[in-house]
Amino acid sequence: MPEARFRVKRYDPEAPVMIGARYDEFTVPYESSLTVLEGLFYIQEHLDGSLAFRYCCRAAVCGSCAMYINGTYRLACQTNVRHLHGDAITVEPMPHIPLVKDLVSDMTDFFAKYEAIKPYLMRNSKTPDAEIPQSEADRKKLDMPIDCIMCGCCYSSCPSVWGEGSYLGPAALLKAYRFEVDSRDEAGKTRLPSFDNERGIYRCHTITNCVEACPKELNPTEAIQWLKGATVRRRLLGRAK
Amino acid sequence: MWAWLFHRVSGLVLVLYLFAHIFVISQARLQGAEGFDSLFTTLESPFFVILDLALIAAVLYHGINGIRVLLFDLGVGIRQHKSLWWGVVGAGLACLAAFAVVSFSFIARG
Repeated sequence: MPEARFRVKRYDPEAPVMIGARYDEFTVPYESSLTVLEGLFYIQEHLDGSLAFRYCCRAAVCGSCAMYINGTYRLACQTNVRHLHGDAITVEPMPHIPLVKDLVSDMTDFFAKYEAIKPYLMRNSKTPDAEIPQSEADRKKLDMPIDCIMCGCCYSSCPSVWGEGSYLGPAALLKAYRFEVDSRDEAGKTRLPSFDNERGIYRCHTITNCVEACPKELNPTEAIQWLKGATVRRRLLGRAK
Repeated sequence: MWAWLFHRVSGLVLVLYLFAHIFVISQARLQGAEGFDSLFTTLESPFFVILDLALIAAVLYHGINGIRVLLFDLGVGIRQHKSLWWGVVGAGLACLAAFAVVSFSFIARG
């Protein structure tokens, strides 16, 4: 039976700092449909029960299993071993994010920043009894940002985040865009203070690492650039469009 | 990321060059007209001409990529960021080649 070799980065928070991180090698039975996540399941069940990683839906929808696989940001569940090159599959946690254990990243800051941009529709006018109507063209604008599964790949890849830990980062700003661009949103200037500052949109220098990293092929840079323009328009003209 | 990193590095090179430039020129001025002339003879040597070309490369990259970044701020071409970068490199190399032809004919004349 052919085999796949996994090189998995391990991190033990309780070990002394010098030996805290290491790579372990595992040999996993290979079949053509094997995904990296299934390989990790095999390791956990048969080879080393102490391996920690995060997963949930196994269908590239929940964003839990984002990892750095063979030097690329990928969702472990969506990554077929067959499509990976090289003699071993190197699995690492997303870089530049604090670790809990092994492949489990500490996403506390990431989700705090998501909350900071007030990720919900804000209404001033009276809530109608029926649903709030939206034209097809207006709905189309939401296609890109609502596909974000908040896996954190873009956030991990952003040099502006590496340099300034308080920067909101591409994921939170993409979500800010998702609500600012929504025709049903009536936030006006109330959402602005959360991202109209040096920890928000102006920290983006259009490096486009987020675009390269996104496993859903979204474009956070484009969203942030739209927010910059909309913010200036709102400040000067009183409207976003 | 490399487009951005080169932009930052070339910007730093230009700032540092500016200080070196002011320092060298002002030192030469202190030594009168002859000192100024002898400095310029040194600066016309092939080594410094090649260094000048490196400077021009930094100016070209920083300038042309600067236009690319400004376009992004206007919301233009973000989805084409890669092909635009190759455009920047192509335009930069074309200009650099023109400068190189002039510079090397300058060296050849002695």
